[in-house]
Amino acid sequence: MQNAKDTFYEVLRSRVVAGNPERTIVLRGLIRPGVLVEENELITATTLPDCFRLRWTETSVDRAHQLPLAVMRCEVFYETAGQVGNGGMDRGRALAAMDAELAEAIGATPQSASKQNYAGLATSGVAAPMSSRIWWTDVNFGAAEIKGDRVGRSATVMVMSYEEAGE
Amino acid sequence: MRANGGRAVWLRTPAPAVANDDAEQLGLAVPGFQDVELSPVVLRKAGNTTTLLVSGSAVNAVVGSLQFNSAQVLFETAAGVVMDEVLYTILDHTASTSDGKTYSYSLTLRAPER
Repeated sequence: MQNAKDTFYEVLRSRVVAGNPERTIVLRGLIRPGVLVEENELITATTLPDCFRLRWTETSVDRAHQLPLAVMRCEVFYETAGQVGNGGMDRGRALAAMDAELAEAIGATPQSASKQNYAGLATSGVAAPMSSRIWWTDVNFGAAEIKGDRVGRSATVMVMSYEEAGE
Repeated sequence: MRANGGRAVWLRTPAPAVANDDAEQLGLAVPGFQDVELSPVVLRKAGNTTTLLVSGSAVNAVVGSLQFNSAQVLFETAAGVVMDEVLYTILDHTASTSDGKTYSYSLTLRAPER
């Protein structure tokens, strides 16, 4: 399942970058694309605005197939205060722009990708392609929420993958 | 602060992220950490949180030596505060100023859940 999660993150990040190269964040002194996986980052009390934060929640495995089918729920959180220069009065438009970027990144065809094993990166290696693919549903947007001077939303996408031998 | 039993704590800061390093973004590699001393500080416990009052000059020295842009960036980048070998999460921070100079910082800390 970890390979499917890693692959989905890599695909989503590259698509967000392609859609809006200016969607960036500064994290630990480095400018990087504005997409992150919460469980892979340091625990902090502050929430970064203007980026997509992926949180993996529910997981189920259906073994009634030739290969076990893993279904994982990915929740994407994001919020924005708009631009300081506009006094935050454009925060609704900024949130709509993020909605559009996420819908485009997840809904673009194909809604599947070749599964990769990224374990080799830990030893300065490269990602290794696997035999199967991952695929995912359309994005389902939740209601907008007011968080202080920010407005935010969570969206949900289900990611599926067959578990290969050794996973 | 010294008159009120000022003590030392350690601010745990991660090493800067590595550019284009997917291993870190995928949780396959962890950054190195360094502990820098903050002294003098005084503590006040209130409910589930602890308030840490830190000398402004001590913070400014750390900001300068680690080449952070500001104390705000320093605290938001830090992994937490180490006291008695326990890592506390920084919930928020405020600065107290006089004549345009910061003389102390107040950090609200939360102990790890056990």
